[in-house]
Amino acid sequence: MPPTPVVDPRLLEILVCPVTRQTLRYDPQTQELISDAARLAFPIRDGIPIMLVEEARNLDTPA
Amino acid sequence: MKAPPAADIDPMLVFDRRLVGRHRQRAAASLDRHAYLFEAMAEAIVERLGDIARRFPRSLDLGAHQGGLGRRLLAGGTTDFLTSCDLAPGLVAAAPGLRLAADEEWLPFKDGSFDLVASAGSLHWVNDLPGALIQIRDALAPDGLFVGALLGGATLAGLRQSFLEAEGRLEGRAGLHVSPFLDLRDAAGLLQRTGFAMPVADLETITVSYPDALTLMRELRAMGESNALRGRRRVPLAPATLAAVAADYAARCPAPDGRVYARFDVVTLTGWAPGPGQPVPKRPGSATARLADALGTVERPLT
Repeated sequence: MPPTPVVDPRLLEILVCPVTRQTLRYDPQTQELISDAARLAFPIRDGIPIMLVEEARNLDTPA
Repeated sequence: MKAPPAADIDPMLVFDRRLVGRHRQRAAASLDRHAYLFEAMAEAIVERLGDIARRFPRSLDLGAHQGGLGRRLLAGGTTDFLTSCDLAPGLVAAAPGLRLAADEEWLPFKDGSFDLVASAGSLHWVNDLPGALIQIRDALAPDGLFVGALLGGATLAGLRQSFLEAEGRLEGRAGLHVSPFLDLRDAAGLLQRTGFAMPVADLETITVSYPDALTLMRELRAMGESNALRGRRRVPLAPATLAAVAADYAARCPAPDGRVYARFDVVTLTGWAPGPGQPVPKRPGSATARLADALGTVERPLT
């Protein structure tokens, strides 16, 4: 199995939540960037963070 | 009767951004062979940066497509650390540097993250251009530079006219087919209003010839530039109407050898994030010498 592409830490340093402009939490397990303030989880696909609100998972909606 | 959702009646929302994203995503397979407009814009931006004796350590290619501009910035030594973002993940996957999908209307960057924000051929799909410019300014460090090239002016005015004429004549109504574009006269004021120092806006016309109007439309589609107006016609055009559009266009925009031409006006916006030590205009009335003396003439009151 190929290793999961990781997000460059230099990118994580400059990213904020596009909705609240608060800092994001990186979850390496789910490969998501989590905005606790907006209750949104932005997916990382193939190492590319998808910072689009319509692609984000709502943390309050059960999976 | 239930009122429509607010978004459906908001006159400020000209473009269907999801559709813009889908058009771009779909273009990922074809864009490398149809990117000439974006390549020309990128070339013009790089040329402009070459006139500025400065390096930009941290740069953002905003609306990067497949990275034509970013690759030039890296190759020319303009920047060391490039971030590329696009509304379509499938496009930006081919771009250089650090990559992410982002919406120009909802930038996900910390304030002061970049020394240069450059954009070639994407900002004409933004609903709220002043809002996007303010976010760009905030993403720039003090004294950081923004250079953005977007379609504007009389871009595809001939095609708009042909649709109006043919659709109106054959179907008794005219749909929206070509975007409204930023006027050059508004552009510098817009930069100033959104807090950029030393704003400059200029316009360059690129003329491209095609075999016919239908080829032009297919080309636009291949570059991800299909109609994404929220008020667009949802019913496909009848073949007869489409043929009439093509006939009208052939007469309206003829090029040599039976071809047609298309006009693309590229508006380039340049402005600096405010910073210390930038030249600023003096306040009115602060002069210490008379202009008439400097010119060796006599000042006369207006009659």
